[in-house]
Amino acid sequence: MKHKAFMIDTSRCIACRSCQVACKQWNKLPAEATVNSGSYENPPKLTAYLHNKIEFIETEENGEFKWLFLNKRCMHCSEAGCMKVCPSVGALYRTEDGLVAYNKDKCIGCNYCVNGCPFDVPRYDAQNKIAKCHGCFDRVENGLQPACVKACPTGTLLFGDRDQLIATAKTSGKPIYGETALSGLGAMYLLDNKPQDYNLAANPTIPTSIFLWKDVIKPLGILGFWGAVGVAMLHYVTVGPKQLEENGTEKGGGNHG
Amino acid sequence: MGNYVKRFSAFDRVVHWVLAIAFFVLVMSGLGLFAHTFFSYFDFFGGPEQGILAHKIAGIVFLITSILLFFAHAKDTCRFDSDDGRWFKGFGGYLSKDQPEIPQGKFNAGQKLFALFSIIATVILGLTGYVIWDPTSMERGLTQFSLMLHGLFFILFVMGAVVHIYLATIGNPGTIDGMLWGQVKKIWAKKHASKWYQEVGGKD
Ligand code: HEM
Ligand code: SF4
Ligand code: SF4
Ligand code: SF4
Repeated sequence: MKHKAFMIDTSRCIACRSCQVACKQWNKLPAEATVNSGSYENPPKLTAYLHNKIEFIETEENGEFKWLFLNKRCMHCSEAGCMKVCPSVGALYRTEDGLVAYNKDKCIGCNYCVNGCPFDVPRYDAQNKIAKCHGCFDRVENGLQPACVKACPTGTLLFGDRDQLIATAKTSGKPIYGETALSGLGAMYLLDNKPQDYNLAANPTIPTSIFLWKDVIKPLGILGFWGAVGVAMLHYVTVGPKQLEENGTEKGGGNHG
Repeated sequence: MGNYVKRFSAFDRVVHWVLAIAFFVLVMSGLGLFAHTFFSYFDFFGGPEQGILAHKIAGIVFLITSILLFFAHAKDTCRFDSDDGRWFKGFGGYLSKDQPEIPQGKFNAGQKLFALFSIIATVILGLTGYVIWDPTSMERGLTQFSLMLHGLFFILFVMGAVVHIYLATIGNPGTIDGMLWGQVKKIWAKKHASKWYQEVGGKD
């Protein structure tokens, strides 16, 4: 299966936020009232009505102030923690293009998925249903570019065949973030600085507790349950129950006389 | 007098059965979240949202009744003696028919261990249940850890319950009488809890 993906060249971004606006428009997401936090960054975090946003990371380079701009969104992980923990089959699913989309009708509002996600992405709307970037699967299926990509005036956001994007990006000589992490992210970055400078984990992994819960405790637990039932049944037909004998001289009883 | 001796008060019995029903509801509703295989169990509750609500209500009932039951029996369950050591060494006589019964108090060593495990598991399930009540409300690492621990103790508890139910019913005929109508046969008491039988005035 050929996967599609985003390639985000952060150095090209001018923080015009066309992507934020285009996403809101295509997905009919309402505007939200925000407060001035003393930064140009707004809103401060992804919300249920904001599926991608530009982070304004303030740094210093050779004594001069410098912004790092990062388009934050769902990373469409090949090994997706959100899908791993979701109890409802089909609420989160992988599209034919390899993106992680969702079906709000099947979402049961358990709010588990944000705990499985290494990037703190899923949010919950007023109906307590999941909300995040779905890769504009509705557009992509019909041969269109995602709305945010289409709106980006600088070529920061690219979308297309994953292998091809990687091949092209490699010619720039910059390291690619997400080429192999979590079996390959569906949203990759070309970064000028270290991932940590962008608040990105150098080696994103599914949280250990989540791994133990879903890959160890769950399978062993189901086995353990049937094991316990099996041991009880086996005991009943081999050693047998401790019968009471009505005449008072119970078999094997050692506590009399 | 007759052939019976009193074992559990009406309070003990009501608390135990409310707890058992709550446990059953917790297992059925929890399983829907635990694995995809059991997702359809939510149908018993009218849907996943209702199932989660039932789990939360049953959780509170279970927590309260578990604590009540623990304290009602604590004086009999929290003390172990040398007979209990022998009981554990011989696996309670459950491995062979020819072993003599080791004298035991009101509860045998295995039952006492299950009582202690139960209260510890209940407290852990209750605390982690509180953390995952709204899985977005607390620190992520803590929530992730609590989800794991809740799943682990759920499994251990269900396995314990399987053994408990087997031994309380067909594994030891006559045992369930005490929890149903409060009294057990004298020959039951003499066989399974001879020290207790003497304490409560049983002769012969
Ligand atoms: C002692 C009181 C308990 C409380 C307060 C409690 C509370 C909770 C809560 C709030 C959840 C999350 C529901 C949600 O997603 O909104 C949950 C999940 C769950 N509970 Fe409990 N619970 C308790 C005891 C139990 C017991 C006794 C069992 C079974 C023996 C159990 C089995 C489960 C399971 C299997 C899940 C699904 C999560 C997982 O797979 O680990 N719980 N519980
Ligand atoms: S970034 Fe988070 S929400 Fe997106 S696919 Fe990965 S785990 Fe799921
Ligand atoms: S909130 Fe919805 S999408 Fe997220 S894990 Fe629960 S059911 Fe799945
Ligand atoms: S791909 Fe679509 S849903 Fe995702 S951020 Fe872009 S416009 Fe929004």
